[in-house]
Amino acid sequence: MPGPLEGIRVADFTWVWAGPTCTMQLAHMGAEVIRMESMRRICTLRMLPPWPDGQPGINRSGYFNQYNQGKRSIQLDISKPEGTEIAKEIVARSDVAVENFASNVIDRLGLGYEELRKVKPDLVMISMSGYGRGGPESSYVSYGPAQVPLSGMSQLTGYAGWQPMHVGMSYGDPNAGLHAAFAVLSALFFRERTGKGQYIDMSQQESTMAVLGEGFMEYEMNGAQPPRDGNRVARMAPHGVFMCAGEDRWLSIACATDDEWRALCGVMERPELADDARFRSLADRKANEDDLEAEIMSWTLTQDPLEATERLQAAGVPASPPLMNRELAEDAHLRARDFFVKREHPEVGVRQHAGIPWRMSETPCEVWRAAPVMGQDNDYVFGELLGMSIEQIADLKNRQIAY
Amino acid sequence: MPERALEGLTVIECNRTGSAAYASKLMADLGAEVIKVEPLNGDPDRALGPFPGNQPHPEKSGTFLYLNGNKQSVTLDITTDSGRQVLDSLLRDADAFIHDIPPAEADSLGLAYQRFRQTNSGLVWTAISSFGESGPHRDWKAYDLTTLSAGGWTWLNGWPGHPEMPPLRPFGRQSAYQAGVNAALATMGALLARLRTGRGQHVEVSAQECITAILEMTFAFWPYMNTPTARWGQRPIHPIDFFQCKDGGWIFVLCVEEHQWLRLVELMETPEWATWEIAANRFVRASNWDALRPFMEEWVSQWTTDELYRAAQEKRIPFAPASTLSQLLDSEHLKARGFFVEISYPEAGKITQPGAPFKMSETPWEIRTPAPTLGQHNEAILGERLGLSGDEIKSLNGARVA
Repeated sequence: MPGPLEGIRVADFTWVWAGPTCTMQLAHMGAEVIRMESMRRICTLRMLPPWPDGQPGINRSGYFNQYNQGKRSIQLDISKPEGTEIAKEIVARSDVAVENFASNVIDRLGLGYEELRKVKPDLVMISMSGYGRGGPESSYVSYGPAQVPLSGMSQLTGYAGWQPMHVGMSYGDPNAGLHAAFAVLSALFFRERTGKGQYIDMSQQESTMAVLGEGFMEYEMNGAQPPRDGNRVARMAPHGVFMCAGEDRWLSIACATDDEWRALCGVMERPELADDARFRSLADRKANEDDLEAEIMSWTLTQDPLEATERLQAAGVPASPPLMNRELAEDAHLRARDFFVKREHPEVGVRQHAGIPWRMSETPCEVWRAAPVMGQDNDYVFGELLGMSIEQIADLKNRQIAY
Repeated sequence: MPERALEGLTVIECNRTGSAAYASKLMADLGAEVIKVEPLNGDPDRALGPFPGNQPHPEKSGTFLYLNGNKQSVTLDITTDSGRQVLDSLLRDADAFIHDIPPAEADSLGLAYQRFRQTNSGLVWTAISSFGESGPHRDWKAYDLTTLSAGGWTWLNGWPGHPEMPPLRPFGRQSAYQAGVNAALATMGALLARLRTGRGQHVEVSAQECITAILEMTFAFWPYMNTPTARWGQRPIHPIDFFQCKDGGWIFVLCVEEHQWLRLVELMETPEWATWEIAANRFVRASNWDALRPFMEEWVSQWTTDELYRAAQEKRIPFAPASTLSQLLDSEHLKARGFFVEISYPEAGKITQPGAPFKMSETPWEIRTPAPTLGQHNEAILGERLGLSGDEIKSLNGARVA
């Protein structure tokens, strides 16, 4: 059965992480996504680890291969006029164009929305720049890791009394990519009903702030920057990640209700704690949170986090170890759900990749192919899609237009 | 002809974790009609805060207000037969149902897609849960912190070199936001497919998987190199680090591409250390960062945050400040783009809050009405829409169903 976006074609000008995350969602849903890449400006992700055996190679990066599953790749130097024209021919046969260069770069390449709509009047196009179009900082350069501090997330995240922190990944990128994919589908839905395409201007800074709503609300309501408070939150206690037996082993536990807390005391074999005056209600537990966490850690330090999780969950206590990559890869639950994708790749063989976090009953979504090697679909796109002859394609390669 | 992208769509929402509420917010802000079905004591987010003066009040919870603009609120006890019948009636004419009620509880409430597809074959039924609807952990309980841990994010966040400090949550209920945006995206995919097939379908979203799917390159380090990940992920290239400036603010120093580093060296006026072999390229700098860091720290400390941010960007080096919320609210750039919106809430007053996550040229993003008060639309929905008489509504009310 075909995916929900069967018949939709995407001209993919994206690179690094944010843009490719957007177009991968579309590929997951069955759209044909054509990445336009070039040896003149190789995608940053192709140049970053992990690589099998630590040996670099532009087709060997696990980072690239994770976020470009199910896409096609052609080599096209869009900085050359002839390359620009070919890109337009691809756009003319597409429904969607996606790019995430710094603001206005796509215009300088002659591939801005005003140019592209001439060849495809009902095109849906999204630009995903760091700072958006217009405004004094629109030409600033930005990458996902910098979006975390820029958006305000770093000042809100960290241990009590410590400096602002990163969040451990370049969150601005995937968050922008997913919001962008939603925007594209909403625009396609409008197009299907009206015949009108449109242009979408996304600022990664703004899409990151959109998921910090409760922080802004608190600032507005109480006039102060919410302080960094480790893993603690206002309306749950305990709410933390506790040290366990062994080296660098941890367990996260969160209790919102008195019942959950009572159940936790039961699993800890400390039923008297549930009635301890310091811990009886949420207000009590918040008021004595240092003591509360010390009591819990005196138990977790003797525990294996996976075993403790099983017992806590059986008793109805929300708990999970913070899983690392190896534990995720081996996780019985994720495996039982068939979450991981293993497809043969010409240069790295079969590797495990994270898959699609949703399932559809009637129009199944799937990764039909591993991430492409550079230019893997040159012949299909130039030949079948654009109708060029073998000689014409060879000529493009010789003159480094297809490069 | 519709003016808004999602005009004409009707979405019924039941929210427990914030994920269903965020999914339907994304759709409501583009013009979909969203009806929230709330328990009699309200969506749990009404009790979550933040609250003005830290005084809990069901109409003043910041989380609730932020997530529920443009929606209508109906109170309904769906654990009773009569409450469920009303929900059935709402679903009969809806385009999508988005809920995040845990699977076992949804089963016990009779919220099964199979039953509804007979009465409304076009309905898109989107069920969000922490661990999905299958697998050995299906019925595990979770809140945001434990979902982020199970998805692999918490492990990545913390301070390298401080093994005594725990893995750390990022700010905000990010598992809810991620499950929400994935659910909105998948719902739209199913609605697009419906234009072609005429049929709705069941869509299942796992919050855990939504997190595992976005762990940057850190997940791949296991299947590609058998390398376990460390706190603050893998940072295979440098500089990528925070430094404090002389005004006390923090700057994030970042060079992704080598040409950016070369321009940074210029900005630093080519100090000797930057020419050493251990600083020769982004990978070597990463391996030797402990040795190089003090030099960078000293250089940064001579600048104010804003001066350094502007000077770096002038040279197209992707530095960024660690912005405070007040700095963002005062930002000339964000003002020029019109990002923040001011909403007047009936109980909580005027609040300036984040606006559109993206701007569409032909169809507006807007907050047309503030988040509803509890049960604000009971009469309009139950009476005018479903045609229940005043007496019938009263009897629902009398029986504490609505």
